[in-house]
Amino acid sequence: MQAGLLFALLAGALFAAFPVFWMGTSSFKTNPEIFELPPRVITEHFSFDAYWSILSNPVEVRFFVNSYIVALSVTVLTLVVAIQAGYAFSRFQFPFKRTLNIVIVSVQAVPPITLLIPYFGLIVSLGLYNTYPALILTYMVFTLSYAIIMMTGYFNTLPRELDEAVKVDGGGPMMALWRILVPLSVPGLVSVGIYTFMIAWNEYLFALTLTRTEDMRTVPIGIQLLMGQHSYRWNEMMAMSILGSLPVLVLFLVFQRYFIGGLTTGAVKN
Amino acid sequence: MRNGVSATWRATSLVVVLAVLVAGCAGPSSSPPATAKPAGGTGGVTTLEFSQWWEPELPQGALRGLMDQFEAASPGIKVKLLSGPFASTKEQTIAGAAAGTMADVVGLDGAWVSDFVKQGSITNLSALMKSAGYDDSQLAAQIKVNGSTYMIPVVNFIYPLFTNDDLLSKAGVTAPPTNRTEFMAAAKKITAGGGDVKGWILPLSLETPNGIQNDVMSWNWASGGSMLKDGKPDVANADVKATVEYVKSLWDAGVVAPGALTMKEQDKVEEFTNGRVGMMIGSLAWVNLIRKNNANLKFSISAIPAKDGFTGKRGIPYASWGIGISENSKNKAEAWKLVDFLMNKTNNASVSSLANGFPGNTQAVPSFVSNDNLFKAAFDIYKAGYPANEFTGLPVADELMRSFDEQLQKTLSGNQSVDDMLNAAQTSWLKKF
Amino acid sequence: MLNVVEAAPRQTLWRGLTRRAVGPTGRRLEPYAFLSPTLVILLILMLYPIGAVIRYSVMNNVILEKAPVFVGVANYVGILTSPDFWVAVRNTSFFTAVSVLAHLVLGMVFALLLNNSLLGPLAKPVFRALFILPWLFTVAVIAVLWRLLLNPNGVINYVLQGAGLMDSKVEWLANPSIALYAVTFINIWSGYPFYMMSLLAGLQGISSDLYEAARVDGAGGLQRFTHITIPQLRPIIVSIALLDVIFTTQQFALIWLTTGGGPINVTEMLSTFTYKLAFNQYEFSVASASAVIIFVLSMVLAFFYVRSQRMAD
Repeated sequence: MQAGLLFALLAGALFAAFPVFWMGTSSFKTNPEIFELPPRVITEHFSFDAYWSILSNPVEVRFFVNSYIVALSVTVLTLVVAIQAGYAFSRFQFPFKRTLNIVIVSVQAVPPITLLIPYFGLIVSLGLYNTYPALILTYMVFTLSYAIIMMTGYFNTLPRELDEAVKVDGGGPMMALWRILVPLSVPGLVSVGIYTFMIAWNEYLFALTLTRTEDMRTVPIGIQLLMGQHSYRWNEMMAMSILGSLPVLVLFLVFQRYFIGGLTTGAVKN
Repeated sequence: MRNGVSATWRATSLVVVLAVLVAGCAGPSSSPPATAKPAGGTGGVTTLEFSQWWEPELPQGALRGLMDQFEAASPGIKVKLLSGPFASTKEQTIAGAAAGTMADVVGLDGAWVSDFVKQGSITNLSALMKSAGYDDSQLAAQIKVNGSTYMIPVVNFIYPLFTNDDLLSKAGVTAPPTNRTEFMAAAKKITAGGGDVKGWILPLSLETPNGIQNDVMSWNWASGGSMLKDGKPDVANADVKATVEYVKSLWDAGVVAPGALTMKEQDKVEEFTNGRVGMMIGSLAWVNLIRKNNANLKFSISAIPAKDGFTGKRGIPYASWGIGISENSKNKAEAWKLVDFLMNKTNNASVSSLANGFPGNTQAVPSFVSNDNLFKAAFDIYKAGYPANEFTGLPVADELMRSFDEQLQKTLSGNQSVDDMLNAAQTSWLKKF
Repeated sequence: MLNVVEAAPRQTLWRGLTRRAVGPTGRRLEPYAFLSPTLVILLILMLYPIGAVIRYSVMNNVILEKAPVFVGVANYVGILTSPDFWVAVRNTSFFTAVSVLAHLVLGMVFALLLNNSLLGPLAKPVFRALFILPWLFTVAVIAVLWRLLLNPNGVINYVLQGAGLMDSKVEWLANPSIALYAVTFINIWSGYPFYMMSLLAGLQGISSDLYEAARVDGAGGLQRFTHITIPQLRPIIVSIALLDVIFTTQQFALIWLTTGGGPINVTEMLSTFTYKLAFNQYEFSVASASAVIIFVLSMVLAFFYVRSQRMAD
């Protein structure tokens, strides 16, 4: 059993991590070495050049700053809004509930590439072109659907009896939501939060369209700028991707302890 | 319940206020472009916006340096560079035109011109040239639609034949092939050397199908052939058929590097640099790249082989960095000054040298021509032949290449004959005209 | 009693808009209050663009033409009778079905592995971090990375040949018979962490008392899994499966940047089909019609999801 578990873990780790490992080793190589045959893992010319050229370039660093600001804002705002909406869907019956649920889900279902031009026109006429709010609000639209569905799902797994507990203290639905349900949904919140951060961090198409000047661009655009018309700057692309993935990884590592179980143990006595 | 509801509304309004605050502290430079600029001549500073993909491809600071020179020479005009990734430039320009946010001066590719003219997004340069009294004889080429110029190529990247000297000599071939028979023989001999080495490389990715232009149709143009007749598609003619059959014969002989059907142009140079490809049709811009990445690689530049016995002028494919002015620019006169600046003899030579391409000004001579053998060879080929790219200026040029590519892929995979392929391509092309 | 009822209306007159919601009608407005930020954002930002797309789909040649003309359902008919569309539908169905299924299975397996109490406190975070890696990268990078790995002259072929599992180079992305599988594999790789995380979070919420009780009753591991784990996770599984179907149907950049819909048309998806209509053929109205068709198909699925939610209530 132990051996089976270990084997599965290692196989899984190989499956998940080998490509990323390859990305990492490539970021330390020189461009031609990346295409060498036979492929080499440790390069002769190990260097941090790729990383250095990114980190020492204020334009590129600005990309990271912008991505942080946008992704963090989107995460916080989406969570707050989705918690409320998920609560509404989970705990209440009201007219048009099904319609609204469908509307929220189906907003995701329109291919973004066709929405691009009218949406862009809308943002320009709202005067938000090339601003942080344009990106923040746009990403909220993308992530709210998922976040609301997930929060509804998580709240649905928490029995209604829990809400009753606040009645003793004379509290209403808001109290039930924020004092009882939210603390119990921390694993769900963390997973939705990380997902939201990731969507906002990695999005490319709307980031490119809704920003105009270098000082507003984000990391995915920075990576694409390295894919030239004539050739790609492979090692820098890999380095920038690794640098770009670190924030999400750190976020995950920091918050993963909230996944640890037992939060609802004993809360429900059948 | 009373507390609950009001608390709900309070929380909701808090979220709304937060959102408004975030909107309020808008990011920097959020002023909408182009609308608040004074038209030149009122004594205010005119800011021109120049959107292109060139800045990241040139040495750091080079393009900005040129713009600074322009600003120094043209008091009252400032230039703001807007750079974007090449692969997304076409979509972004269309979206920008639709939303009215296009920059004043725009970098363009010849394949987009016809459709942008249809959209009305770029302005008639002939009219501007006339009102500025510009002498256009110094321009090597002008991309015209309906008789008026809409794009001027600033730098031309030609695609000659690159040959790996070591692989050729190992295969017993002394000089780069000059006609199709020699090419086929050389490719076979190189491939016979075994290992991972192949004689030729052919990128046919459907995502950016310029392999059709650079690696397939180029054979036709190098022998003076054409795929058009009176500006209309004529894909089923004898020359094109001979070209396609030749490409198919190379494919069937197994001399083409693996992965061709989804290979992109940027992959060619990597395979060549690593010595796994004997001969390739490549962009001149790669010369310095190859030298930097593999100083030991000995390679030559020559003209694309023509059909046996052909003695006429050989067409050589090229891609350009083209420039145009947007229709809704409020500073067209100033914008033209920038175009003029980039096209004059000295600056055009500078830009071409920096980009490793050939100038769009007939009199400009880039510095690398005099002090570099390979570039000199390329320049001689350029002068001896003529720049040939029939796709430039055609409607939905990308789509034409793509539909041809799809049919070619079917043929190469053995699913249809060359005749069927050409007829299918002709039919689908005619629909677009 | 009577006093309280009479007192309420007088108080509301004083307390303004928010307090007017109090009273028998107050309770009915509560859910809308909770939903209001969502609705405000979605309505303001999406109403116009979606409306525009629908409007474009019944016109002819918008964007490019200055004077678009109403053509009714002509664009829809054109698409539904186009063989390319049905090829795209077929490929997308395969791609989506296999991806979602594999995501679910892999996500569940990894979530269970990570939830296992046999793992030490040091091993858990390490493996969690390893398993979540595919998720951290933007699609363009994943496409570029896998093109590098699956290059006929690349490392995967090298390793497989070296291990004796293959004798010649396989063109993973360029061979028409294999490309669709390769692309599906890449999508599975890049998307399973989403499931893994959601299921892992869900697993935390299952009370261990349930498992204990089952063990006491003599239920084996598999029975505990099918009778406790799956039913408890059902709402989450259904939610993420639905979302994944919608996401995967929209997946554009991964396909476009790896194979461009090729070779020939074996990896042509609805998303690449629509993109090509819009930005290569400049047929924005036809592309909008395609978008509406995709939208309707997804809405049908969303409808079934909502129905299943109601059944769970």
